[in-house]
Amino acid sequence: MLTLNNVSAGYGGVDVLSNISLSVKQGENLCILGPNGCGKTTLIKAIAGLITSKGNIQIDGKSITKMKRHEIASKIAVMSQISTIFFSYTVYETVLLGRYLHMKGNAFKEPSAYDKSCALECLKAVGLYDLRQRQINTLSGGQLQRVYLARTLAQEPSIILLDEPTNHLDLKNQAELIDYLRDWSKVDGHTVIGVLHDINLAIRLADNVLVLKSGKTVAFGKAEEVINSKLLNDVYDMDIVEFMTDSLRRWESFKEEPFQKVKLRKIK
Amino acid sequence: MKTRAKIIISICMCIIVLLFGIGIGSIYVPPLDILNIIMNKLFNTALSDNISNTFISILWNLRLPRALLAFIVGGALAVSGTVMQSVLKNPLASSYTLGVSSGASVGAGLVIITGFTIPLLGMFTLPLVGLSCGLLTVFLAISFASRMDKNMENNTIILVGMVFSLFINAVLTLMTAMSKEHLEQITFWQMGSFSLKEWSNVFVLLPIVIIGVLILIRYSKELDIMTFGEEQARAIGVDIQKVKWLLLGISAALTGSAISFVGVIGFIDLIAPHVVRKIFGSSHKIVIPMSMLFGGAFMVLADLVARTIISPSELPVGSITALIGAPFFAYVYFKKKG
Repeated sequence: MLTLNNVSAGYGGVDVLSNISLSVKQGENLCILGPNGCGKTTLIKAIAGLITSKGNIQIDGKSITKMKRHEIASKIAVMSQISTIFFSYTVYETVLLGRYLHMKGNAFKEPSAYDKSCALECLKAVGLYDLRQRQINTLSGGQLQRVYLARTLAQEPSIILLDEPTNHLDLKNQAELIDYLRDWSKVDGHTVIGVLHDINLAIRLADNVLVLKSGKTVAFGKAEEVINSKLLNDVYDMDIVEFMTDSLRRWESFKEEPFQKVKLRKIK
Repeated sequence: MKTRAKIIISICMCIIVLLFGIGIGSIYVPPLDILNIIMNKLFNTALSDNISNTFISILWNLRLPRALLAFIVGGALAVSGTVMQSVLKNPLASSYTLGVSSGASVGAGLVIITGFTIPLLGMFTLPLVGLSCGLLTVFLAISFASRMDKNMENNTIILVGMVFSLFINAVLTLMTAMSKEHLEQITFWQMGSFSLKEWSNVFVLLPIVIIGVLILIRYSKELDIMTFGEEQARAIGVDIQKVKWLLLGISAALTGSAISFVGVIGFIDLIAPHVVRKIFGSSHKIVIPMSMLFGGAFMVLADLVARTIISPSELPVGSITALIGAPFFAYVYFKKKG
């Protein structure tokens, strides 16, 4: 279980987030919503202990300030955004790096059979097994994002933090990633905490949502109870419902698949 | 080609290069005679009749220690460059970025100008003072960087290193300007040379380099992870602050020890890691030992060119490595830009 109590964090002595409190139980997912600059990424970094924060962040009752780097990493993995690759590794080598904590101290030894099979299983899970010998600098943005997901899974954490994980993915891959993470979280009480800009994807993944504006909590609770048109209008300063309705109207004008079917299909 | 085959070929090529480095010169010693003399010296095996005492003396007292020292120095510089590039996540970084060469040069300059020797150390005074000043500069630069930026971001380290380097270079320029009679000696030291190096240099430097390289190989996984960025490395569980200090410190010590014996020799630390990564991929478990071999072999060849091209005079080996290294530096830089 992850608990945040009056957490404030920022950069260079200036708080970007102030007094955030929430708790996420095992097996639950949380999506962090809010406009650009509201502190979503800062919150992810604070939870992962990557930046210093005030207040109290506890994982399974233990404050992260009392945990060593490897202790935090054994519980929390962060799936990063894609950055410049300076030195290229194969897909398999990259995923195997996620096993670092489990292989520590064995630089002169080969990885264990379990480490190897774990990395390969994670590659299968994200559909990149056949590309395992490819250099990562030859992959598309979407494939690279999946390599990083596989590396995150190879870390075998109980909580995965995601910062805009669908940035480089097409629609199909976005849906597949979110569905995969939702399924993963329901196994053995795992938790996914993600920053997502797409509210549709957030609803698809989240049990709970945290809505931020200017570094402060605007709403926190079950997605179906918290998200409403007034809240979204206030936070994003635009009529989101009107935007979505307009999009659906455009779909209707395409006159392809009967639009009514889309509307009537039950949400899984 | 499989990695193992590439490693075996590289080792064979290193041996061939070493035999060239030892055999070629004013007097040519054939490879079989070299092996014969080495076996005789090490295991007391019988010598061929056609090998004269002059051959033995030239080979054992001059060429062999010189070539081995060149190999060790080249290897140490290459490994140090590999680690610096990965830790600082910058393909153009090297130990020199942190001011180790400037510091060592000031130390060497002080010894040359004042002419003092530490009792019992004798000829090792200059290397020791050079190394100490080089390491002190790096220590000050990293300490200052960590004070300025608690997270020790790479850009902060590189910028602080450059500032320290420039400042200390200015001190050296002042020292040289005020002691013109030592200008030539200091300038030549800064160009690097393996001339008149003896076995004692090899015996002092070899263990330092072996221990340093082994520790760096021990941290090859951390180095692999750090090339993806510090935030990712921390998220995977690497204790960045501690590991960064350690790796930067050992790399600087390797460079400092190497150049304090032979003077500043540039570009090998830049070239070797890039060539090795192109051939063997990026995994540091392979890249570090292979950089050692490549850097060593390259330095032996550079020294061979330096001492034979205008024989009987010698060119400073630093100028040979720079002649090849500068265009390569430009190639790496513009390729990245493109």
